[in-house]
Amino acid sequence: MGRVRRLPSRPLGRREALAGFLFVSPWLLALVVFHVYPIVAATYLSLSDYSIFTPPEFVGADNYVKLWNDPTVWRAAGNSLFYALLSVPIGLVTALVLALLLNRPVRGIGIHRTFFYMPAVVPPVAGTIVFLLLLEPRAGPLNTAIETVGLDGPAWFQDPAIAKWGLIILSLWGVGAATLIFLAGLQEIPESLLEASSIDGAGPWRRFRYVTLPLLTPVMLFNLVIGVIYSFQVFDAAMIVGGTSGAPAGSTLMYMVHIYRTAFGYFDMGYASAQAMVLFLLIVAVTAAIFGSTRRWVYEGV
Amino acid sequence: MPIVVSRRRFLQLMGMSGAAMLLGSCGGEEEVATTAAPATTAGTAAPTTAAAAAPVSIDFWLPGGSDPFCQGFELVADAFAASGSGITVQEVLCGVADDEDFNERLLANLAAGTPPDAVIIWDPPVIMASLGALEPLDGLMAASKNSQLENWPEGTLASCRWDGQIFGLPATASSYAIFYNEELLESKGIPSRRDDFPKTWDDLKALSAEFVQWDGDTLISAGMIPPYDAVESAIWSATNGGALYDPETQRVRLDSDENIEMLDFGLQWLNEQYKGDWVALEASGNYLGAGYLDELGRPPGFQSGHQLAVVNGFWLAADVYGSEFQGWERWNVAGFPVGPSGSSTASGFWPNWCAIPKGSANPEAAFAWLDYLVVDGMKTWFGQVPDIPTNRLAPDDLFPQSVADQRGDEFATDITRFFKSQLDVAAPMWNCPVQNYMHDQIYQAISTVMLKEATPKEALTAAQEATQAELDSLMAG
Repeated sequence: MGRVRRLPSRPLGRREALAGFLFVSPWLLALVVFHVYPIVAATYLSLSDYSIFTPPEFVGADNYVKLWNDPTVWRAAGNSLFYALLSVPIGLVTALVLALLLNRPVRGIGIHRTFFYMPAVVPPVAGTIVFLLLLEPRAGPLNTAIETVGLDGPAWFQDPAIAKWGLIILSLWGVGAATLIFLAGLQEIPESLLEASSIDGAGPWRRFRYVTLPLLTPVMLFNLVIGVIYSFQVFDAAMIVGGTSGAPAGSTLMYMVHIYRTAFGYFDMGYASAQAMVLFLLIVAVTAAIFGSTRRWVYEGV
Repeated sequence: MPIVVSRRRFLQLMGMSGAAMLLGSCGGEEEVATTAAPATTAGTAAPTTAAAAAPVSIDFWLPGGSDPFCQGFELVADAFAASGSGITVQEVLCGVADDEDFNERLLANLAAGTPPDAVIIWDPPVIMASLGALEPLDGLMAASKNSQLENWPEGTLASCRWDGQIFGLPATASSYAIFYNEELLESKGIPSRRDDFPKTWDDLKALSAEFVQWDGDTLISAGMIPPYDAVESAIWSATNGGALYDPETQRVRLDSDENIEMLDFGLQWLNEQYKGDWVALEASGNYLGAGYLDELGRPPGFQSGHQLAVVNGFWLAADVYGSEFQGWERWNVAGFPVGPSGSSTASGFWPNWCAIPKGSANPEAAFAWLDYLVVDGMKTWFGQVPDIPTNRLAPDDLFPQSVADQRGDEFATDITRFFKSQLDVAAPMWNCPVQNYMHDQIYQAISTVMLKEATPKEALTAAQEATQAELDSLMAG
């Protein structure tokens, strides 16, 4: 059995290590102050009765019991789950299709790429308002287009049965960032592999299915994880469309919005912290599950 | 001999100084919090002449508003400083950055022990008082020039009362009424005077039917929309002899017979005149915006002449003749009708509450400023953004200039006095310690009923149980 051989410590190495720590110390400090401390504090506050105006009082698991029995939390969680389950795959497919199109050597491709990425840098509030106008039920461009083929467009943000779909369509507004990452992944695929598969007789579809797609799976994993995390945390769009009430009829009340209104509307910081901790753990679990599944579908060797 | 600093040493020093600066900046906050955290007994102390005479600077925060609204407070602050008070309102913070929330910032400062000296809040004082965030004002009010208890209408003051003490001043409280289009009534030969306006909800529903017109699934003309707004629910409850909350017993009363009956009345109204289709009603146009552009930018049905009447507060009076107003001129206002089980009219109000946060460094000076603002500052405030002054000593000859420009001083004065009179019949509202929670529950109940997802009894029972549980939890804590 081999033994670990430790390198002799050299004075220069220690000095370099010290210098290194000093260099990263501001960042480490910021990490502790702005990330680690809030997580630890939120954990403690989730076990407390805390309104911010008076010191927190330890109440054990009361907030978690309340959460379990709170129908509004379940409604908000259901809305968020529905949104995540649909917006993430639809967003991934859309981003992939756009990336494939933007990877073609056509004139002015740089302008096209910029055009598709631009929405990702537009403030979410502005983007949401634009979508509200696009999806206006009577005179909005989308419903007007639907009417031209003889169908009635839905009342996107007025009908509780449809409103979440409006939010999912709205989520495509920010698909440019994922597109850009897919595009980078596409450009990393060795041309020689695609040429070899062509020589072997593979057509465009088989090249995509058996060469491009497997080699894109690491990038897809990244976009999937980021997409899942963002989708569970959707806030701006839901807040603008439905307010803190989740109009219409609570159908757009997302989990993050409910956390917000519990904290800053009801001033119940302890309960809001418990909700936030559950979301944190849920995202950790889903992310871990995704990573756990990578052996089955992520191809990492060329 | 020159001092040689190697690149490595230079970078080490940079790293150390960066860390030191970060630590220093964190330490600085703590120092401010320590020095600013005061111990006050504002609830029992009266403002002293020494406090007023010594040069004192205070900070004053409010949630935000239009530019004229914000500028108004700077004008009043200047006048206050010039009045010989010896107090300067050093900072008027009117709203926060776009990516910030006023409550977040206020709460953070409260938690840090560095609150502003005085605030205007849009959350009822009873909520914040029940959580220990505000100073009681009884002692300061008793010794004040303008703010004695008897100078405030009881209905509005109830929104500031918690555990037997007063925690806020309802500086302005625009009351609610029904705005109606006189010309539409006259076009059908219906008398349009205020006195002739329906006195019962049944009569108003019948009148509304005269003006409802559909083109297929699109509503092209509306009478009045059945009661649907969560804030206004306190009014329609009161007109039917009900209430939302009883502060004496600390019981929520959302599922009372009167409230169920009134919500059912609204549902029947929807079924009879609006095809029972709330989605189609909303999708047809802006009939729920009650006089303002909606989030889709659609012009309000009332101003565009396609809606007989809307419920709204006094603030709409100053805004009626906006850019969306077209094709007609004469509107008026009327009081709320009486419900099937009610016996008298009622109104409601939406205040700007002044308060002193717990931990205010200068509570006496802050109260002196608020005491000035609620009476002497009202002319300027009203001139910038018309809002009904609540204090009985405030000027009573104010009227919205935009209305006077269109309809003359007499009409503008008449409607202003009418709205002021509505404060005398205002239903108790904003008085529940879990008001925001209750509001969301009421919204949920109304919308599920209007969308046919629950009956009025089911929806209000669910809202009642959830709200009472929330209240009980607060009281137990």
